[in-house]
Amino acid sequence: MVDLMLLAPEITILVTGLIVLLAGLFLSAQSKKILGYIATLGCLVAMLLTISSFGTTAVMFSNSLSIDALSQFFKIVFLTVTTLVCIASVKYTDGNDHADEYYVLVLFATIGMMMVASANDLMVLFVAFELASLATYALAGFEKKNPASIEASMKYFIIGSLSAALLLLGIGYVYGATGTTNIEGIAQNIDLLLNSPMGILSLVLLIAGFGFKIALVPFHMWAPDTYQGAPSLVSALLAAGSKKMGIIAAFKVFIGALIALQADWQIAFAILAVLTMTYGNIVALSQTSVKRMLAYSSLAQAGYITMAFVVMTPMALTGGILYALSHGFMKAGAFIATAAVVYMVTSENKDILNADHLDNFKGLGRRMPITALSMTVFVFALSGIPPTAGYMSKFILFSSTIQSGLVWLAVIAILNSALSLYYYARVVRYMYAKPTVGDRVSEPLPYVVALLLAVAGVLVIGIWPEPFVNMAMEAASVLI
Amino acid sequence: MLPILSLIVLIPILFSAVTFFTKTKEQARISALVGTLITLVLTMYMYFSFDSTSAAMQFEEAANWIPSLGITYHLGVDGVSMPLILLNAIVIPLLIIYTWNDVRAAPNRFYALILAMQGAVIGVFISLDFFLFYVFWELTLVPLFFMVNIWGGAKKKHAAIKFFIYTHVASLVMLLGIFGLYYNAWSLNGVPNMDMAYLIGQFQFLESEIARDAIFLALLFGFIVKTPVVPFHSWLPDAYSEAPTAGSVLFILLKIGGYGLFRVMLPMLPFTATPSLMITIMGALGAISIIYGAFLALAQKDLKRMIAYSSISHMGYVTLGAAGLVSLSISGAMFQQFSHGLIMSIMFMSCGVIQTKTGTSIINNLGGLAQKMPKLTVIMVLGFMASLGLPGLTGFIAEFLVLTFSFINLPIYVMIALLAIVITAAYHLWALQRAMFGPFNEKLGDIVDISSLQTFSMGIIALLVLYFGLNPSPVLDMMITNSEHIVSLMAVMGV
Repeated sequence: MVDLMLLAPEITILVTGLIVLLAGLFLSAQSKKILGYIATLGCLVAMLLTISSFGTTAVMFSNSLSIDALSQFFKIVFLTVTTLVCIASVKYTDGNDHADEYYVLVLFATIGMMMVASANDLMVLFVAFELASLATYALAGFEKKNPASIEASMKYFIIGSLSAALLLLGIGYVYGATGTTNIEGIAQNIDLLLNSPMGILSLVLLIAGFGFKIALVPFHMWAPDTYQGAPSLVSALLAAGSKKMGIIAAFKVFIGALIALQADWQIAFAILAVLTMTYGNIVALSQTSVKRMLAYSSLAQAGYITMAFVVMTPMALTGGILYALSHGFMKAGAFIATAAVVYMVTSENKDILNADHLDNFKGLGRRMPITALSMTVFVFALSGIPPTAGYMSKFILFSSTIQSGLVWLAVIAILNSALSLYYYARVVRYMYAKPTVGDRVSEPLPYVVALLLAVAGVLVIGIWPEPFVNMAMEAASVLI
Repeated sequence: MLPILSLIVLIPILFSAVTFFTKTKEQARISALVGTLITLVLTMYMYFSFDSTSAAMQFEEAANWIPSLGITYHLGVDGVSMPLILLNAIVIPLLIIYTWNDVRAAPNRFYALILAMQGAVIGVFISLDFFLFYVFWELTLVPLFFMVNIWGGAKKKHAAIKFFIYTHVASLVMLLGIFGLYYNAWSLNGVPNMDMAYLIGQFQFLESEIARDAIFLALLFGFIVKTPVVPFHSWLPDAYSEAPTAGSVLFILLKIGGYGLFRVMLPMLPFTATPSLMITIMGALGAISIIYGAFLALAQKDLKRMIAYSSISHMGYVTLGAAGLVSLSISGAMFQQFSHGLIMSIMFMSCGVIQTKTGTSIINNLGGLAQKMPKLTVIMVLGFMASLGLPGLTGFIAEFLVLTFSFINLPIYVMIALLAIVITAAYHLWALQRAMFGPFNEKLGDIVDISSLQTFSMGIIALLVLYFGLNPSPVLDMMITNSEHIVSLMAVMGV
């Protein structure tokens, strides 16, 4: 008998999604505001359920889903991001007749991500992966009158479909060789894959497939355009949530199933990590669109997390997993702050094209003090200044690199981290040291609430990391 | 027992937050003054109940922080850190009085940053856990970055970002060194622990000689960039001269680089694979800084840049004295940190006054200011005399100790440094002569002397320079106790 209570968080999100979908049929555009609150409530309940059951382990549905610390930790990451996005969206979707669709897509994307976190079978993993992807393709194009948004959605869709095809092909080869799609089954029958060219072929296809989702260089081409063109809050979901889905999936497939091929994929990840962080940071230096800059910085951050695959010690995986949570807060926060600025700029001037241009951040410290202060915390956290979540995660991740003797990798990562300070500090300089253009504006409450929650998350993980480190350690111990 | 060390860090930070949310300049400066005065009172209490005959940590506080990584909240003071905390606690309230009537944008942020800086710097001095130490160490960057960026001079953007990234890279290299120490001890003993004394003690058991030297050099790099030492000084002239006066004084009070040399580097030095090479590196860099800084100061046209380069020259004595490895040379180096903080505060404050009153700090555009500003001139001359090492003032004692006692182990470097004494005297006197004396430059228009508040704050610092110059033992005794302790540990190793 399967204990359905183990799936309570997913069920909560699903029910919330269905309620929103149904209620949307009967509500007028003005009263659709309430849907945002319902969605937020659903996410919070799901998060509480996940946290309260943290640490239980179970296998469900003939071994196709596994509930363990790792999957629960990532569910917390996804739910955190979704909660922040939903809160901030209350203002963004205010008066929009399609608000119900927006929230349904956000919630369904979240279920997809949560199922990926629990998947113990490559077929389940793929289906859940696609559920999340399809919902986010539509979300990226949510502003259907905005050409940039449509372009973002198209690009994301086409490249995403290609990567899904590669992924499926990779899974197909693994299945063909080992005769199973179950992750543990593959690990047991890995001999069949080990000495055959199919092993390498499937690795290449799988790395490419996940690489697209995580936006590792050179599979990153879609990310800057999509993050820049999509609505900022959707970019928050993509960069902070959907990217982590790629990471947890890669954790499961490479460390869970294909650990015997470690020597082969580890070198590939080493190259990808170095390329990604260096390319992301260097290109971010010259960006004038804040969203595009955050997109490249997001590449760099994914590069750091990928180091966990290269080092592969319990400490490094703890660091990588904690980084996923920290990055959820930091990056979602930074995109929400940008969304608040975009909202402010577009409400002043409807026809403005590049509302997220750095010039619009001039003197923000006076115009929108809370947004500016939160943005400062997020960018300093992203660059790894203590006492923030970003510093704590980098501390564990980079120090584990030294521990395992990969000093060269730690040096590259640290140089990158220093380089990134330049473009993060530039945003801060624009907000505080440039003369103010325009008057003080009142900051919409939903944005403020979301920002303050994210700031609290960043600082709590930075100052009192013990419970989070313990949870991440427990999650890492599932893998190794 | 009052957790006094936690309080002297928390109170400035708390008042920083309060000040940030004040609405008017009145409220901001009063809140800032109250915060720093409470800190001063607590520090004085701590100073008077401090036992200067003991080299052990005093007022220790310890609590678990992140047990899974062996990170603790561990605070304490000894004779190395006490004088530096005292320096910060005394000068910062005076700095706030000095800026009392200044007109500037966003005074609430300005004073909030000064207080945040005070909290962070004191935090570095009292942290006995490497993790906590690094957190405070990095936190000192942020207020200064804003300070230069918002209220700085014409090239503030360049100066702020250069300072920020340059010293951040150095800190990260230092962090790599800390990781090295941490994992070495972890793999030896099987438990993670970030305690400073423990990790420094475990350093000797690291088998690989290359690793020991690499860790030592990584940490040394972090400290000497911050000190700074030639050739890693290039962020300093820009940052010091572009910062507003209060920012320059805060930079001066940021004695964390030199502090790191005494707290971390010297106890580790005997256990490196090649101690004599490390001593040579430190001694040579110190001597080069002294003479190179002095020559560059001589060549400056701008008074503020001249003071900045003279600061490099003076910090060379700290590195040289530390490398001297005799208890009195080390004490001299520690005293130089304390003395330099006081003297440079006077010099930057004087320069700041001149800049606001005359609109320029180019030495040749000034002239004869003594006629118009007698009060400033008295204080400023005293500061300059102390800086060039006139007996009876603090600078002399520090430099005398460093040069005399470093001669025992490093005669050649001391000879090099001695050459700089003439140049030091020359640039100080020449600048004074051109800026303050001689006929008044009528182009400067009507100039009034410094306000009574500024006289008060600069006067107190000047009196302290005189007092500690005549009677250094209130701070020197505790420095000698601790440097003897450091040297005795080295003697055990036969270095």
